[in-house]
Amino acid sequence: MTTGLRATLLRAGRRLLSSLPALFGVLVFTFLLMRVLPGDPAVFFASGPNAGKEEIEQIRKQMGLNRPVPEQLVFYLSDIGHGNLGRSMMTGQPVLKDLRERLPASLELTFTALLIALIAAVPLGVLAALRPGSIVDHGVRLFCALGVCVPTFVSGLLLIYVFYYLLGLAPDPTGRIDVFTSLPPQRTGFLSIDFLLAGDVEGWWAACKQLILPAVSMALFVIAPLARITRASMLVSLGSDFVRTARSVGLSWHKVVVTYALRNAILPVITIAGIVFSTMLGANVLVEKVFSWPGVASYALDALLSSDYAPVQGFVLLMASLFVLVNLVVDICYGIADPRVSIE
Amino acid sequence: MRFVSFRPATSVLAATALLLIATAPSQAQTRAETLRYVTGSAVNTLDPNIPGSTRESFALSMSTYDRLVAFGRKQLNGKWVFDLDTITGELAESYDVSPDGLKLTFRLRKDAKFQDGSPVTAEDVKWSLDRCVTAPILGKAQLLTGSLTSADQFKVIDPLTIEVTLPKPDKLALPNLATVYPMIINSKVAKSHAAADDPWATAWLKEHTAGSGAYVVETFKPGEQVILKRDEAWNRGSANKPAFFKRVIVQSVPEPATRANLVERGDADLVVDLQASDVQSLEAKGKLKVVSTPQYNAITYVSMNNQMPPFDNVNVRRAIAYALPYDDMFKAALFGRGAPLFGATWPDGKPLNGIYPFQQPVKLDLDKAREYLKAAGLPEGFSTTFSFNVGQSSTAEPMAALVKESLGKIGIKVDIQKLPDAQMSTQINEKKLPFYTEGIVAWLPSTDYFYRNFYTGNQRWNYSSINNPDLAAIAQEARFEPDKAKYEEAGRKLNAMHADLMPQIMLWQPNQDAVMAASVEGYTYEFHRQVDYRDVSRK
Repeated sequence: MTTGLRATLLRAGRRLLSSLPALFGVLVFTFLLMRVLPGDPAVFFASGPNAGKEEIEQIRKQMGLNRPVPEQLVFYLSDIGHGNLGRSMMTGQPVLKDLRERLPASLELTFTALLIALIAAVPLGVLAALRPGSIVDHGVRLFCALGVCVPTFVSGLLLIYVFYYLLGLAPDPTGRIDVFTSLPPQRTGFLSIDFLLAGDVEGWWAACKQLILPAVSMALFVIAPLARITRASMLVSLGSDFVRTARSVGLSWHKVVVTYALRNAILPVITIAGIVFSTMLGANVLVEKVFSWPGVASYALDALLSSDYAPVQGFVLLMASLFVLVNLVVDICYGIADPRVSIE
Repeated sequence: MRFVSFRPATSVLAATALLLIATAPSQAQTRAETLRYVTGSAVNTLDPNIPGSTRESFALSMSTYDRLVAFGRKQLNGKWVFDLDTITGELAESYDVSPDGLKLTFRLRKDAKFQDGSPVTAEDVKWSLDRCVTAPILGKAQLLTGSLTSADQFKVIDPLTIEVTLPKPDKLALPNLATVYPMIINSKVAKSHAAADDPWATAWLKEHTAGSGAYVVETFKPGEQVILKRDEAWNRGSANKPAFFKRVIVQSVPEPATRANLVERGDADLVVDLQASDVQSLEAKGKLKVVSTPQYNAITYVSMNNQMPPFDNVNVRRAIAYALPYDDMFKAALFGRGAPLFGATWPDGKPLNGIYPFQQPVKLDLDKAREYLKAAGLPEGFSTTFSFNVGQSSTAEPMAALVKESLGKIGIKVDIQKLPDAQMSTQINEKKLPFYTEGIVAWLPSTDYFYRNFYTGNQRWNYSSINNPDLAAIAQEARFEPDKAKYEEAGRKLNAMHADLMPQIMLWQPNQDAVMAASVEGYTYEFHRQVDYRDVSRK
């Protein structure tokens, strides 16, 4: 077991090291991309009633845009090396601070959504695979199609309309917590955890209520790929030799389906879940907008629209790093689900 | 004397009442005394002078800082709007303008205190005004429009008196001091946070306040929300009382539909910047109070680049002016919510007055448009692009489609171009767009100010890139014209030139639709197009 663990750690380390050049590439590429995009951020930010040439020049200087591009790149890389991602013109805060404050919000939302999606998708996929072609299978297919064809902002607005506007069950869809609730001392940045740590059950429930609608509208969108993959790999697994053998030796239904079939079928689901997670983190911008969720995706979109370079670059770097990390976690999960994978 | 015996009883009563109030459910209490204001954009700095600051930041600074003077308010068609012509004292108890108009003397209120308890002195005023004209901040360009350019112009006479000297009698000097930027800062506090490379403490003031305003910043989350607490000692409001609301929550909710839901459900008290369609349906339901005020200091234009063919030909511009389907555009873009600036009739072909903006004597008349095109030597028409920015697409998109359709009828082929906001501003700044729609706002809407800023020079706000020496000269002269009749005459001349040269086409002044709970009172349309929290109260 210890050798297995060591092998996993070694592999993880190697993976991290080998992803560094990729991260560097992403860094340089985004930097250049932002400069190639049309639109001068200095002009945009100097849009006050009396902003003239002087103001524009001043902002340009402040953003470091008055220097030649290669020089800007060198400065930028050295800043990154010192852990400085620059300053956002939109919020006026250092980008690192903005991202640090907003990332937990996005992560909490995405984790919850992924959890909801997995809890719904895996049983649905298994059910569909157990009776392929039956009413249940068609039902699952219909549900998945509906989920995936309704864009998240539509389902989000619909959920708000029904549960907040019509029924009044959900709290008002603005941000992570009711404005009148006092926040717990920040430990993890995840409100649902921080409230529990502070022993504030009422606050915890308030935070959870606020989380449900956006998480559900995001989950609806990703149930389809997860359920379809579960179904497909379950079908393969159920039709394979070892399941037939397990059945023939008279093992219980539960043991056959869960221990033999599902455990083997779960590998592709983990892969997809990893990919789904990374895409969700960036793609939930519409949900964040609709629910005024103070997350990183809506932050990056606002920055992009106003050509605010530093936050966009910071966001892309963050996403790239997260992607590397998620891939790593997926790899480790592989090793746990199927020990053969760790053998190289 | 008779009442003495009752005193113990009353005090017991009072104490009981106090106890009752203290133990009563505090939630309901704070809710009634709290104003929750939701808006689309966000407060991004506590000092509105920082380049890039948003409108929300402007509004916030009006409540956290005082200025020497403030605009009064007046009724316009039954709605309260700010009044450019009435300047009242805010920190100044009174002010004098010397007969030659070159000296403004302000006497400060004796009881005015900063939020840290120290008195507001003439030294603080001087430091703040010096900062405004010296530091590399937005106030500099604004105060320039009122001939306030150098620190030498501000002189401390005694601890409560400050004198402002002007090189010329400038009508806009005094109103400029009532705008967002020249706020009065607690100079001792600010100086203690200044640095060698930042003598005006711009970095610190961005995230902290040191003012004497009606509200103290309790929490500030840039991009999300700001919570304000009432300064109980502040007495510059109406009837020398503190502001009404104990707390103000300024919250960013980017989705306009959600903002509409919030105010309709009663979770938000006050919202501006809703979609016209939402406002209409909320108004129809009749549960909420909707105050729609034409933004009388804002104008939406169709601009043509007067330096670029074929728009350098005045007859082409006139043709366009007669080919726009004004009524349809007004309905499609704004649901008719605003003040139209088209379709006037000028009895003897002369402007009715010297006020800008004015209703232009143009309407949809395709035959006339064809004639002008022929006169321009382009009877077959031409091809061009019509641009607008993404941020305005909800109003500009339907408008652009109508422009394309209508111009198509006289042979002008229009390609619609939707540009990201930063790209659009860059292209406007570089004068690269031939034909587009944009809007402007002027804090100090006087005729000469409009013409000087939007029709002269090679700067960005001269959308039509018009370069007419006569027009520029009249506008420049009018600036310092003390005689009211002569000023009016100059205005008429400018308006007549506008109608003739047609450098760009004024369309309308969109409404500011403020939707609020029925119990909210006192909303006033302010020059910065946001809510001044000090104006409002709850019944």
